[in-house]
Amino acid sequence: MSKAEFKGYAITDANLWSQFNVVEYQPKTFEDDDVELRIAYCGVCGSDVHTITEGWGKIPTPLVVGHEIVGQVTRVGANVKEFKVGDRVGVGAQIGSCYKCRACKEDQENYCPTKIDTYNDKYPDGVFAQGGYSTAIRANQLFVFPIPDNLRLKDAASMLCAGLTVYSPLKRHGCGPGKKVGIIGIGGLGHYALLFAKAMGAEVYAFTHSDRKVEDIKKMCADHIIVTGSNPDFAKSLEMQLDLIVCAVDVGAGMPLADYLSMLWVHGKFVMVGLPDEPLPSMKAFDFLCGAFLGGSHLGNKKEAVEMLQFAAAKNIRPWIEELPMSKASEAVQRVKKGDVRYRFVLKQDISPIDVE
Amino acid sequence: MSSIIGGIKKRFSHAATVSASEQTAPVPANVEFKGYAVTDANNWSTFDVIHFQPKTWQDTDVEIAITHCGVCGSDVHTITSGWGSFPTPLVVGHEIVGKVTRVGAKVKGFKVGDRAGVGAQIGACYSCRSCKSDNEQYCPQKINTYAGKYPDGVKTQGGYSTAIRAHEQFVFPIPDKLESRYAASMLCAGLTVFSPLKRHGAGPGKKVGILGIGGLGHYAVLFAKAMGAEVYAFTHSESKVDNIKKMGADHVIVTDEEGEFTKPLTQELDLIISTRDVSDNMPLNMYLKMLWVHGKFISVGLPDKPLPQVMAFDFEANGSFMGGSHIGNKKEAIEMLNLAAAKGIKPWIEELPMKDAQQAVERVKRNDVKYRFILTQDLA
Repeated sequence: MSKAEFKGYAITDANLWSQFNVVEYQPKTFEDDDVELRIAYCGVCGSDVHTITEGWGKIPTPLVVGHEIVGQVTRVGANVKEFKVGDRVGVGAQIGSCYKCRACKEDQENYCPTKIDTYNDKYPDGVFAQGGYSTAIRANQLFVFPIPDNLRLKDAASMLCAGLTVYSPLKRHGCGPGKKVGIIGIGGLGHYALLFAKAMGAEVYAFTHSDRKVEDIKKMCADHIIVTGSNPDFAKSLEMQLDLIVCAVDVGAGMPLADYLSMLWVHGKFVMVGLPDEPLPSMKAFDFLCGAFLGGSHLGNKKEAVEMLQFAAAKNIRPWIEELPMSKASEAVQRVKKGDVRYRFVLKQDISPIDVE
Repeated sequence: MSSIIGGIKKRFSHAATVSASEQTAPVPANVEFKGYAVTDANNWSTFDVIHFQPKTWQDTDVEIAITHCGVCGSDVHTITSGWGSFPTPLVVGHEIVGKVTRVGAKVKGFKVGDRAGVGAQIGACYSCRSCKSDNEQYCPQKINTYAGKYPDGVKTQGGYSTAIRAHEQFVFPIPDKLESRYAASMLCAGLTVFSPLKRHGAGPGKKVGILGIGGLGHYAVLFAKAMGAEVYAFTHSESKVDNIKKMGADHVIVTDEEGEFTKPLTQELDLIISTRDVSDNMPLNMYLKMLWVHGKFISVGLPDKPLPQVMAFDFEANGSFMGGSHIGNKKEAIEMLNLAAAKGIKPWIEELPMKDAQQAVERVKRNDVKYRFILTQDLA
């Protein structure tokens, strides 16, 4: 078994949010339920940018971000039956939970009140969780997902946060044949929502702010494309039409939320997966008189992750990605901040490269 | 009371003995539509008796001589202009019970002499997806029982009055074992909480939170208990605790503005129905934390002001939802009334003659009622 060393590209000064320096760090204390992997690729998530720009609050340094991690197993603990050395696996945005609360026992581990995030969080023994812009990671097997043979690691990577974050609510809230599903914001998460919703058999309405993505969205096979920026009345002809809306935009203030809700059929749901830094627009109780719901979602559980990866492999769902060497993380995060990516960066690990695809 | 009913019987005895074909005859000359109206928005609690033009009679209609009308928060929101400007003169009131005096040729569910009620909705388009899927209360062209307008221009006037006409879809039969004075406020307050309780799973094994124990809230406690749920009642007023226990709530929690009360209940509740009529200082984001995964917070209260601001993060922790609900459909209304009759559910009411509407609305504005006023007919 090849030894895993733990080194990564870290932010060392929060004032220089896009400047990465290689650091060595202490990994999770190895336990019998753990899986260790050497990292091949890591996706760049909006969360990484929200975090290092301190949009979501102050950060400790040094901090290695990245939670769309794929690689190859190098070590398994005594209790691990599911994986063996050499397996192709991934880790997403969650790396721990309590394993004993109601949420953990009912396949809702992503909602455990004491869950541990893959980076910028702490284990009970005090070890700081560092993310996947790095050479290796250890995680409890509940948070390690097998990657199907016919799904390339670089395609699987961003499914582990972006993909799962939309797959779970699409599935849980009824996306499928006969349903009309709106996707607002066609970026990293939004484009996955579009691809998955189509593959799940729904009729997909894609909402995008400007013209610039329309050609791409057509290629992604949306049934309807609505450009909202140029058309303030976009919601009128769609009143009470949609069963479900997944909102992946990253804006809070100024979002025409009441208009969005008006497009929902009775008891339809508007599920926010985008997590803007600022509060949502002010709402009145009257905006909900159509019986619709506004809500959220956090990642997905392991069963959904495994199902999603198999679904993607079976239906040949490939995300739109741009690959960069991990040493170019700075360029990647800066371009994500500007929305300049079609539609996810995937960083190839280059500190101690491994040969697995 | 019985003398009023006797008076109505005497007046409409002609209609009671008329054959079916004659029931579609032109309006009997002695049916009067008059009511207590607000004629000046600047004097919102001053009522003057007016005559008004009723709905143009159609063969799908039912006409009712009103015996009781509940006083709803909506009446007060409307006449105080809290919900915006309103047309005057306006007769409010949409928790109406009385006796059927006339039925159109196409009416199947009622005959003259039946006790029947009308709630907060009086019309719809009858042809859209909502109307065809038992969601008539969500019809985009729905007509409200008062301050609305029929397609032919006739304004809708409410139940602080002698009589009303409504399409059969919006008329509900009152079970024999349910007294009219108890049924009245079920037709808006009761239905408005019964529908979401039912649709969103209140029942055995479920923990349901009710925020705000007033007209709607106390019904939510009574119905949620009758449906078999474990009820958590939240009130900001220590003085209501004993009453709420008598209503059968399993747990009574006195709230604070910082939301400290929510902490021991993290992820405990399957459903929260909020009847709160004030949005200021409501720690909405903390209420959401009390919900189990994918639990719903449903606001049936309609404050004048905006809701507190929330962040997307507030829903992310438990995948929870916030929403609203608008009254209920006819099937739910009937089910609710039958449940109330079967289980002997009685709301906590105070009765006043209709001429005391001013006192009633002013006291509702001050929250000084346990827990619903019922106005009894005194004009006919």
